[in-house]
Amino acid sequence: MSQLLKSPKSSWLTSPTTRALGALVIVFVIGLIFNADGAFLKWGTHRDMLRAVSVYGLLACGMTLVIITGGIDLSVGSILGISAVSFSLFCIHFSWPFYIAIIVCLLIGLACGAASGLIISRFNIQPFIATLAMMVFARGLAKWISGGQKISTAVQQADGTYEYVPEPAVFNFINSKILWDNISVVTVIFLVCLLITAILLAKLRLGRYLYAIGGNEEAARLSGVPVNAIKVLAYAMSGLFCAVAGICQASQELQGDPEAGFTYELSAIAMVVIGGTTLRGGRGGIGLTLLGVLIIGYLEKILSINAVGEDKRLMLTGAIIVGAVLLQKTKK
Amino acid sequence: MRDLAKQLVMLVLVAALCLTGCGKKEDTSSTAKWTIGMSQCNLGEPWRVQMNADVRNAADQHDDIKVIFKDAQNDTLKQRSQMEEFISAGVDLIIVSPKEAVPLTPVVAQAYQKGIPVIVLDRRVLGEKYTCFIGADNKKIGKAAGQWIVEKLGGKGTVIELKGLMTSTPGQDRHTGFREGIKGANLEIIFEADMKWLEPNARKEMESALARFETIDLVYAHNDPGAHGAYLAAKAAGREKEIMFVGIDALSQEGRAYVAQGVLAASFEYPTGGKKAIEAALEILNGQTVEKEIVLDSRVFTEENINDGGELLGQ
Amino acid sequence: MASPLDQNATSCLLNMQNIFKSFGSVDVLMDVNFDLYPGEVHILAGENGAGKSTLIKILGGVYTDGSGSMVVNDKEVDFKSVQDATSAGISIIHQELSLIGPLSVWENIFLGKEKSSYQWLDKSHMVDYSRKILEKFDLDINPKRAVDEFSIGIQQMIEIAKALAFNARIIVMDEPTSALTEPEVKKLFKIIEQLKEQGCGIVYITHKMEEIYSIADRITVLRDGQYIGTETAENLPSEKLIQWMVGRELDQQFPRHAPHVGDTGLQVTDLFVPGTATNPAPRVNHVSFSVKAGEILGIAGLQGSGNSELLNGIFGTYGKSAKGSIKIDGAEYIPDSPAASIQRGLALLTNDRKTNGLVMDLNIIENATLASLPAYSRRLWLKPAAESKAAKDITKSLRLKAESLYQYVDALSGGNQQKVVMAKWILTHPKVLLLDEPTRGVDIGAKHEIYELMNQWTKDGIAIVLITSEMPELLAMSDRIIVMHRGQVTAEFDRDNATQEKILTAALGERKTA
Repeated sequence: MSQLLKSPKSSWLTSPTTRALGALVIVFVIGLIFNADGAFLKWGTHRDMLRAVSVYGLLACGMTLVIITGGIDLSVGSILGISAVSFSLFCIHFSWPFYIAIIVCLLIGLACGAASGLIISRFNIQPFIATLAMMVFARGLAKWISGGQKISTAVQQADGTYEYVPEPAVFNFINSKILWDNISVVTVIFLVCLLITAILLAKLRLGRYLYAIGGNEEAARLSGVPVNAIKVLAYAMSGLFCAVAGICQASQELQGDPEAGFTYELSAIAMVVIGGTTLRGGRGGIGLTLLGVLIIGYLEKILSINAVGEDKRLMLTGAIIVGAVLLQKTKK
Repeated sequence: MRDLAKQLVMLVLVAALCLTGCGKKEDTSSTAKWTIGMSQCNLGEPWRVQMNADVRNAADQHDDIKVIFKDAQNDTLKQRSQMEEFISAGVDLIIVSPKEAVPLTPVVAQAYQKGIPVIVLDRRVLGEKYTCFIGADNKKIGKAAGQWIVEKLGGKGTVIELKGLMTSTPGQDRHTGFREGIKGANLEIIFEADMKWLEPNARKEMESALARFETIDLVYAHNDPGAHGAYLAAKAAGREKEIMFVGIDALSQEGRAYVAQGVLAASFEYPTGGKKAIEAALEILNGQTVEKEIVLDSRVFTEENINDGGELLGQ
Repeated sequence: MASPLDQNATSCLLNMQNIFKSFGSVDVLMDVNFDLYPGEVHILAGENGAGKSTLIKILGGVYTDGSGSMVVNDKEVDFKSVQDATSAGISIIHQELSLIGPLSVWENIFLGKEKSSYQWLDKSHMVDYSRKILEKFDLDINPKRAVDEFSIGIQQMIEIAKALAFNARIIVMDEPTSALTEPEVKKLFKIIEQLKEQGCGIVYITHKMEEIYSIADRITVLRDGQYIGTETAENLPSEKLIQWMVGRELDQQFPRHAPHVGDTGLQVTDLFVPGTATNPAPRVNHVSFSVKAGEILGIAGLQGSGNSELLNGIFGTYGKSAKGSIKIDGAEYIPDSPAASIQRGLALLTNDRKTNGLVMDLNIIENATLASLPAYSRRLWLKPAAESKAAKDITKSLRLKAESLYQYVDALSGGNQQKVVMAKWILTHPKVLLLDEPTRGVDIGAKHEIYELMNQWTKDGIAIVLITSEMPELLAMSDRIIVMHRGQVTAEFDRDNATQEKILTAALGERKTA
């Protein structure tokens, strides 16, 4: 009977993880071949790639939670924008201590996400519509807070002249590298959030409920799962990760751009789906999302170091996304 | 119960929208003699926000004019209907910064033929049926930047070009102008990439360039955020001291601030023409004639001249 | 079999002979005959699953792979599509409305049959024609208005008008009165009289005894996919009709042990579940009953009787829209959410494990512990070891067969899937088990195991409420049976005096006290 507690012998060759890993290896090998005079062989290139995808990866963490419940969150880019603007405003203009600024930003993100979740669960509105509304609303809010201008270290005075304030230390810290310059702080932040998501999905009751809701919402409800509350939590978590991403984005740009995160939702969704989490909900995981993040990150990096023109980049990216998803779809 | 809650949500949304809308309502209490309609194609870009600010600042100096602003939110058809609203409201003059030439030409012509003077700002419309065009010349600015760089580098060196969007006219002009300006010099363009006018993209591309090339003398970016993104990448790699960064636009809170902070070696102004437009409008309204085509002068800002208001580019 | 009716009728409208049809390896129609003469109403009768709908779908060209001969108006036909059947003059009024709500009445009536001249729709002609047809049915409504502006009863009449608009001679009505009020039913019967006079033949399906005898000319009975017989209404009194419908021997394959009855486990008082948007008649209309611990109460009823809705209402599936009060072990509460019900000791095994019983994307363990997860976690953290141990023990006691407990449930057989659902509910340690079709789609061997489990559970003091559409199973397993018809209880029987005939009579709507 203890045989029962072993994993089933379903062929590991067809598991989503293997497939996503396969796609990643293919992309990596392409990088080794087109290594741009050895640039691809330097650790710095990989470190920079990880830095560049970290913000997207943070959005993808929240997106994974939401997509597992069978929903979608289009508002991630806009919430990132609000968070970036508010963080800059708090740190540069208001000179708040960094921890208060961070906490308030996280609360803003959480509130935006929870608002989407409430609209979706209380009023039974499709996630696509509800988060589309939040996407537009949050972008408007970001522009309103910032007056349409970037919040930078050039602070306009009453007489119209500019005073240049020093960059807040927290910006410089988040924008720096640690471990003898071997990894960016934003990447560490991303990995921590990834770990939190992984624990949430695998070790907490909440995670099980997310999968159950995505797999069969009615069955979950009839089994006593508090479906509405869990959905609100999923979107709130997504909003929280967006706020973290916004803080990272602002720190890296040394300013809060109200347009920050524009169209990032599409990249985040692409990363989740390329990893192998299905948009239908119920299946997938954060490990897959990490693979999806790396696939897209490496792809962009390889195209960039080889200075491939924008036209060819778009065509290649489109083709490779379709290829990776087809690889996931192939029947046993 | 459910319906009530739904209505409440709607109410809050509507209220929020009104609130944000009302915040920007114009002051209508003045005793202005003339009303000017200003149609802006997209307030999503800081440069265009600046253009509106320049128009407003210039107009504030004159009590006899009042400006009504409309933002087409990057939508050609919306801009067309906003123009039509100006015409039917019977404004005394229209300033338009069109999103696209072809679809907006008829409505500009319509206003012009009805006797409303039209000043076209920055981007052109087709034909002759407008009062005057005010704009800067991207090609000229790109060329000036190229010549300045050649001089600065002493005629030789390695350069990276971070392009805006090569499918857009400003991107193309800033590129071809720059190439014209460096013609004959011993400059090598070792790396070029589209960064789509966006700072995060510029930083990514610059990281790639830094990974590939040991010596980079200068980065020429098609806008200041691009140059700033490149600077941040170099700074992260500890190489910002050995590279010069040059950008375009020179907005006061962006490019000029970067120059003042020592981030950029130079920023070339792409003037909004807002002030010039109000000057021309006053001349027209007072019955004077203005030139059909006004090319704006552009300035270059460097460390040396940033506190003196920059230096006018030679013709 | 000569026509008992119109002796002048030279030929019958429809003659179906030796019809066979199977789904995979399951035979659903075996050698069925059916005929229809002009000017008659021919009732097609039978229990749930007797094969009535299948036969109608073959007639309507929905199923095209049945065998046998079908003669319409003296012509041998072989329908390849619904259009073929329509053009042969067959019109079917389905139980579920097939109107398109946002379209206007005339657009619905002419859907797919639009009149046009030179590609331009001839609207005025179609509107006029629609108005004329509606007048025939005493429907004074504007055909230009959208269908969903009208009440469900009117919509049903529009549906009928649509079916009769184009000179159909063979008209099939599948439970047409389920959403109609009493006056509307009268109106419908008047129309049926008119149609008979015009020489149409009507095939009529209903679960209501009084309707059968108020309009039937002849009755054909199907049972378990087999043709039982055809008789005129006068020669087939209701007792005999029910015998024909039931007709099978009870075998002793259902091992119900004597109950260990204790105190009252579940008391339901005045439960009410309102109707839906498409059918405003209450689904459960003020029902009260009680079950004792250790007892199995069977709830009989034909399709649409509301017995399944009753269980869902008790369980809180409908949230706050259901009214009534529940007592479990003497503690009273209002059933307003499944989560609260589970905490009170209720468990509902729904009748469709695929749509609302199992989460196919989870494995066996995860499904089994879904309803009792707080017991296998400390604060927010899951305890995987406790979880898999519980799942292992329960699935072992249910004799669930699986390669691994980590496999997805969609790979399991129907019987084993059902056992996963049962495992889920038993792990909540329920006081009352509501079982809605626990043996549906389960093979014989697994059925027996499920019966044994039900015996075991009642022995452990659980009260069970059982719904099953298999009459022998219901009779054999229930200690007591109540019968429902259109949302209300029509009869109650003890185990000893319940017979298939009595139950079916009550299920068809005849009120008798036991």
